Amino acid sequence: MRTRIACLRVPDMPLVATLRAHPELADEPLVIAAAAGPRAEIVAVSPAAARHGVQSRASVAHARALCANLCVRVASPALEQAARSALLDAALSCSPRAEIAARASGAWASEATAYLDASGLDALFPSEAGLAAALAARAGKLGLPVGVALAASRSLARIAARQLRRPGEVCVVPPGDEAPFVAPQPLDLLDPDDVLAERLTHFGLHTVGDLLALPRRELGSRLGPDVLRLIAVACGEAREAPVPVFQTRALSEAIDLEYAIDRLEPLRFVLRGLLSRLLDRLEARHLACGELTLGLALASGGRDVRRVAVAAPTLELRVLLQHLLQVLETRSPPDAVVGVQLETEGSAPRSDQLDLFRPAGPAPAALGRALAELAVLCGSDRIGAPAVADDHRPDAFGLGHFQPTGVGPGTAKPQPPAGPEDPQRPSLALRALRPPVTAAVRVSQGRPDSVRSAVANGRVVRWAGPWRTTGGWWTPEERFAYDCFDVQTSDGTVSRLRFDRVQRVWQIDAVYD
Amino acid sequence: MSRLPPNAARSPQAVAKLLRDLGPQLRRGGDATPPDARIRTGIEAIDRLLGGGFPGGRLSEIAGPFSCGRTSLAHALLAEATRSGAVAAVVDVADAFDPVSAEGSGVDLSRVLWVRAPQLRAALRSVEQLLAVRGFALVLLDLARADLRVVPTTGLRLARLTAGTGTPLVALSLQRCLGTAAEIAIELKSTRANFGGSPVLLENLEVEVALVRHRSAPSGHTTSVRLHPTRAA
Repeated sequence: MRTRIACLRVPDMPLVATLRAHPELADEPLVIAAAAGPRAEIVAVSPAAARHGVQSRASVAHARALCANLCVRVASPALEQAARSALLDAALSCSPRAEIAARASGAWASEATAYLDASGLDALFPSEAGLAAALAARAGKLGLPVGVALAASRSLARIAARQLRRPGEVCVVPPGDEAPFVAPQPLDLLDPDDVLAERLTHFGLHTVGDLLALPRRELGSRLGPDVLRLIAVACGEAREAPVPVFQTRALSEAIDLEYAIDRLEPLRFVLRGLLSRLLDRLEARHLACGELTLGLALASGGRDVRRVAVAAPTLELRVLLQHLLQVLETRSPPDAVVGVQLETEGSAPRSDQLDLFRPAGPAPAALGRALAELAVLCGSDRIGAPAVADDHRPDAFGLGHFQPTGVGPGTAKPQPPAGPEDPQRPSLALRALRPPVTAAVRVSQGRPDSVRSAVANGRVVRWAGPWRTTGGWWTPEERFAYDCFDVQTSDGTVSRLRFDRVQRVWQIDAVYD
Repeated sequence: MSRLPPNAARSPQAVAKLLRDLGPQLRRGGDATPPDARIRTGIEAIDRLLGGGFPGGRLSEIAGPFSCGRTSLAHALLAEATRSGAVAAVVDVADAFDPVSAEGSGVDLSRVLWVRAPQLRAALRSVEQLLAVRGFALVLLDLARADLRVVPTTGLRLARLTAGTGTPLVALSLQRCLGTAAEIAIELKSTRANFGGSPVLLENLEVEVALVRHRSAPSGHTTSVRLHPTRAA
């Protein structure tokens, strides 16, 4: 199979990263400055600002003189990093073999590039042009206007992508057509260093075709090994390592705030934007959002980190936002917030193998959404599958993750519950009282004689016991000791009455019902 | 066009034989619960009283004071539902579900979703979410004493939510509160608790079950059941 590499390229990443987080600035005259202050150098200019004559490398003060309603934003490393990760996610939406290119320098310092191994992907799309268009569309959904090119190697794909002028444009270099394609391209696209570029210009070489027309050996002896590297790149002969499989599922979105926020309502808008971008990226990679980590950079210089549990992986924005707000409402940040970061470990959406011998249960996706909603309504620690705890405490139980699928690979088949001794004898269940109800008990001859409580009242007409249950004696906090009775009071209630020997109180902790 | 394999002519017969051999174990595609499916309690006398069990897609009510047997009946329903491999949900406003006792009654706890709703409003919205998911063989709503004054106004809403889902929604309460919104309503009361043996233990609890409302069948019938404590209890 021929190697085919796709290149997704964002030519002006500082500008794109800011517009991705602030789409309301898309039509405004906007510049990105390297730092705050009027003397800061401009590193990126929007088309609306360029129409007013604003250029890169000018100062902010000079730019404001040219455009009175100029909007200035300071370059944000957090936003750029998130945008670069989103570019990688766009590539990963089509192939597991994808990587983000190292930052370029010089004239290409503002670009961001991602590569993916597109070998064999033409079977999934109508054509390679269709694949390139799909990549451009998916990147666009993540707020990244990209140009996409396909060629036989990273270098050629990058050259092809660099000659694209408008976002959404695609270029496919068919196999065998590399030489005719690169010949008319300017030498700048090969990214020579400044010294070599000057020497090539001095010799009157302007296009790749000019370079390839000259004898390679003599060029190398005259201009050094760097020119041979350029020729290898132009001919597609440069040895490149295969694009590796990207293993990490961790995704992160971050934003540096223009001003400190000390109220929940404006923070809600920030969180909604971050979550929305994070979920778009998860969806592009066919993942769902599991546990979230919320990091708040504080005005005092500290950092407040919270873990937000999610009942089931979900892509529901409303549910996740509710979880985050609940966490913040429970405990407010100790200081004003100047930066926000959201991280999550993407989880594969729940799937279920249909079972011929069981009734079809809830659809996994619908169940996941419902569990997330229930966690918001009741608390994530109050829903789940009940389990009997390995504990001698009378009311010990656990609450685990509700995942009623069949036996997974490599796991032992769970034992069916013991059930009643005789299926023909219906079971008498216990109804727990949480917390146990305090009772006033009159004791006669070592046994309860009458009970007064919110559950059972009257004279004890029948009783059984006592049975002593003790445990946790190794620490004062865990120690418990109960003398338990089964009693029927004159009002007809049959309950489990116990004397707490540690607290020295009578309680009813369960009712036979 | 490619030729069919030589044994293709025998395939329909082989499939038919397989379906016959598997018999009632095999469930075919379609809705999780057929429209007229009922969930049985597994207690013959009560199932006979109900006309086969609690109907799917309908709201039903089990009411009675403490020690009347309603929780035992609820556990029996859960056991029947989970024994067949289906999943069930318990929306527990009363926070009274006892996993140890339920497991002793034959409930497969791994197939039960326990929702410990902190108040009635959260419980009703939880029920709404669970019914919308579909695929639950049973949803139990265990109400606390304090909610009884509020529930009658929402009974009709619950009945509307349940209709068409195929899932039986069964509410447990100390006294009837759903009125005509319930398709079936039964009331329980304990008649006798028997202690005996050496050492003296609670041997069984006799309860009387009365069918006080049935929308599509005559009501007013009663039956008696004897409930036995499990090893876990």
